[in-house]
Formats: sequence, structure tokens, C-alpha cells
Amino acid sequence: MEDEHANAYAITADGLTRSFGRGPGEKTAVDGITFRVRRGQIFGILGPNGAGKTTTVKMLSTLLLPTSGRATVLGVDLSDHKAGRMLRSRINTVSGGERGLYYRLSGRQNLQFFADLYGIPKRDQKTLIDGLLDMVGLSDAADMKVENYSRGMKQRIHIARALVNSPEVLFLDEPTVGLDPEISRQIRALVRRLADGGTTVVLTTHYMYEAEELCEETIIISRGRIVGSGTVGDIKGIVSESTVVRVVTDADPLPAAESVRTYPGVRRVSVQSVGGRFDVRIDTDGEDGASMRHIEDRFREYGIRSIGYDEPTLEDAYLRLVEGEP
Amino acid sequence: MRPRAVVAAFKQQAIHFISDPQWIIPSILSPLLFTAVMLMLYRDLTGPVVLQAVLGGGVLGMWANTLFSSSYSISFDRYNGTLEPLLLSPSEITDIVAGRALWNALIGLSNALLVFLVSELVFHTEVSLLDPVMFFLTLVLTLVSLAVIGILLSTAFVLSRMGSVVASMAEYPIYVLSGALVPITILPSGLQYISYALPPTWGVDAVKLAAVEGYQSMMGADMLVDIAMVILLTVLYFLIARFLLKRIERRILETGSSTVY
Repeated sequence: MEDEHANAYAITADGLTRSFGRGPGEKTAVDGITFRVRRGQIFGILGPNGAGKTTTVKMLSTLLLPTSGRATVLGVDLSDHKAGRMLRSRINTVSGGERGLYYRLSGRQNLQFFADLYGIPKRDQKTLIDGLLDMVGLSDAADMKVENYSRGMKQRIHIARALVNSPEVLFLDEPTVGLDPEISRQIRALVRRLADGGTTVVLTTHYMYEAEELCEETIIISRGRIVGSGTVGDIKGIVSESTVVRVVTDADPLPAAESVRTYPGVRRVSVQSVGGRFDVRIDTDGEDGASMRHIEDRFREYGIRSIGYDEPTLEDAYLRLVEGEP
Repeated sequence: MRPRAVVAAFKQQAIHFISDPQWIIPSILSPLLFTAVMLMLYRDLTGPVVLQAVLGGGVLGMWANTLFSSSYSISFDRYNGTLEPLLLSPSEITDIVAGRALWNALIGLSNALLVFLVSELVFHTEVSLLDPVMFFLTLVLTLVSLAVIGILLSTAFVLSRMGSVVASMAEYPIYVLSGALVPITILPSGLQYISYALPPTWGVDAVKLAAVEGYQSMMGADMLVDIAMVILLTVLYFLIARFLLKRIERRILETGSSTVY
């Protein structure tokens, strides 16, 4: 049975729990989560800041012992500390942010150092490291000290560092946080290539477009618990009955927005000022002609530029799940 | 242990050292100042006493360098955010700390030799060594024993945010207890027992036996006893340090404190 699981799933988590502190101050960061990650897929763990995403990744990557529950990675039971150590040569992690590199070493020296720690034979290191630097687009900056790298370059060398041992499972903890759109797009393309090559990728993010573009399956965590799971389509299905009405006006329609918020079936109303115009977004329970007419009537005095329906997005489903709305 | 990881950590520490000029202070200026002060104190004396002053300066420099670079080893990674990637690798933390300690020891040795050179060239001390080969060998042994104490102290840095206080507190006692500064025979008897439990004490005794003609060794021990004791205690301290580092790694995984500093 264990072997079957090990073959079918790269990761299993059953009632995985992690608490910090003791007594009245005890805080449960991850509270009994259960999920499966198939081999070779990109699996998303979504959730707001402090939801328990990083704690989950740390447990699965052997950097943190669970308080209770059971997890296996590549068939290795993580509650067995010694077995967990053996697993380390087969997995790796990338964290968002600028820390985690030796700044006085060049990008190439950082990779050589970690390749040595992973026992990569010297004769293979040059080809491997040149290939990784090329993959992350840092061949030209390979011999520059990391302290002179931009944030995007640091994040790319982080990814290269995590690939020195050709991991079967790669954990990416908010890998594009704080990066500009172009670098983020390059990193997403890289993640896709890794998955196409057979690497199982676990991606934590709170960028919905990233999850929508990359993840085959996801779980959504809020306050340490799973509040939604499935494919992106499954999760979007939660809001399939919903309708989003978008109204663009010339004048500030705040009074109208406030009154629409009280209409039956209206879940949320937001107003954003964009380029001198006002973009109103109204989330409703469903397509309702009467409501639409009411909305149009209410906003007319503010000069309607356009009005229409939008498809609900993953973000709509995410917000509904995270905010605990029915 | 993985020799490759030890060598990698040695190289990494070397690059960090070379590219960071602040290490000139503990590694070069500090031992020179120690020696200068001691030679000034003993300026009216000649012969073996002067040699002991120079030896003391060398050992002080080696210890200051080892203490502050090796003991800070892991906490640097925690501060730098590199402790997680290190823990995640299949290599032991002991490999990494040991590799760095070896580099620090090498620098410490060059400090000691620099002290001798400056004593000769600047202070014209006319130091002559009784047995230069044994002197060099025992100096290396002493240095390794100091490096192992540095590894042991690195655990204090991980366990407590006040690790730097522990390291600072450990600086002067080792100078006195190892016999580098003054002969341990003039210390209170209770303190002498602590001295005997420290590996560098036996190393310093061996260094003096190899260097100073007519030196009365500690407890009448001969060179072989000194060398056997320094090796035995160094191995023992290393095993304790390795055990503690493994326990600390386990504790970090339990508390999730790999990025807390």
C-alpha cells in the first residue's frame, strides 16, 4: 500500500498540524490539513499572509517537525527524522526574498558551494552549473558577487541553487514576491519547464494569476485550515453562480456604491479610481436583470461610460473562501 | 562526515575572509598589539622570558581569531538566511563549521608566525627556537585545539541570542587558563584543574617545551605526554561539539528557529 502511494503521489499529508509555543500563548499555524500531490504536477498552496503556507512547506521539506499528523514525501515518512535527512538529497526549496545567499561569493561560487554540500562530483559540476546559470539567464553575471545582483537576479540564483541536486520535488515559497512583472513571467516560465521535465513543484503564492497560470491543483489555506481544494476550475466553480457587474463612471460614485451595497444579493462593492475615471465592481449572487437595471439607474447620474458583466475569477472564489462567506 | 563539505566550507570561509577587510583587526592588528604590549612589559629582560612573551602573543592572536570567527559561524548563517539551505543539504552542520574553523585556524597560524617575524624585525628580540620542527608541529596542534573550542562555543551562539556575550566572556579566561599569558602554576589550585581540562593548555606547554631551553613543563610532563593530552582532549571536545550541534539541529527543527535571530 505504501509503495502504491509512493508511486502515485509525491506528497501525502494527513491531519498535518504544527503549533508554536505552549500554554495559553500556543498558536496553531497549521491545523490538521490533509491533501495529496501527484508526481510531476504543479501544486498550489494559496492563502493570505500568515495562513500557514510557509509552515506547511517547512514541514514538508524537513525543516520543521510536525506537532501531529503524518506526511510523506517521495514515500518517506517525515516523522522519522533520520529518514527525513536521507530525503534531503532528493528535494529542495526556494524562498522569496533577498536573504539566503552568500553575498561575498559570486553566483557561480554560491552554486559550487551548494553542489559540494550535495556531493555532486567535481567532474560534473562545471556542466551542471553552466547549464543552471544559462537556464536562469545569469551566464553573463555568473562571476559577479551576489551583493551586486538586483533582486530579480538574486531570486534567479536562488532557483539555480535549489536545482543543483536535480530535485524530484521542488518547493517554491512565494518565488515571485516583490519582483517586477517581466522577471515574474520568466520565473513562471521556468517553473513550467521544470514541471514539464518531470519535477513535482509545490508553489505557495497569494497571486491568483500565478496559481491560475501554473497550478494543476491547489489548496486554499486560511488560518491554518484548508478552506478549498481542487483544480482551478473546481475552485472557480464555487462562484459559478455569481455575477460580477462592472460599471465605469466619470464622477466619483461613492454614494451610489454605498447604497448598492445594501441591495439583496450584493456581496461586495469596490470602487477604484483609474485614470480620472471610476471603476466600480459589484459582486452579486447571480445574474438578475432587475438588479442590473437598478444598478444602472443608480449610477446614471455619475455619467456611465460602460456597464456590463464579468466572469468571476479565481480571486473571487479565493476571497469568498478565505473570508469564510457561504 | 563529508570531506567534500569540509573543503567547500573552508573555501567559502576563505573567500569571505579575503573579501572582508574588517578581519584585519582580529587577525593581524590584535595579535601584533598583544605582542607589542607584552614585549614592552618585558623590555628589560632577555632570553627565555622574552620568547615566552612572544609565544604568549602568538597564542593570544590565534585564540582571538578562532574565537570570534568560528564561534560566530552558525549564527552568521541564521542571520544571513543561509541556515535553511545548509540544513536542507545532506551535509552535517559539523562539516560546515569544521571547514570554516580550519580556515580560521590557518589564519591563526599565520598570525602566530607574523608575530614572530615582527618580534624579530621590529623589536629585535633575537628569538631562537630549541626545536623548530617540534615547535611548528605543536603550534599547529595547539591551534587545532583552539579551533575545536571555537566550534564548541558556536553552539552557544545558536542556543542563545546572547552568544556574543559568551564568546567575549571566553576570550580572557582562555588566555589565562591555557598558560599563554602567565604560567598556570601561579594560578589558584582550583583554576589549575580547569586549565588541565582545556586542550590548549597542554598544547601551549608543548610549544614552550619545544621552543624555550630549560623550560619547566607543567606537572613535569614531557613532550609526548603533552602531545597525547592535547590530541585526546581535542578529539573529546570535537565529539562533544558534534553531539551538541546535532542536538541543536534537532532543536531548530522542533522550534522552527532556523530563521530567527
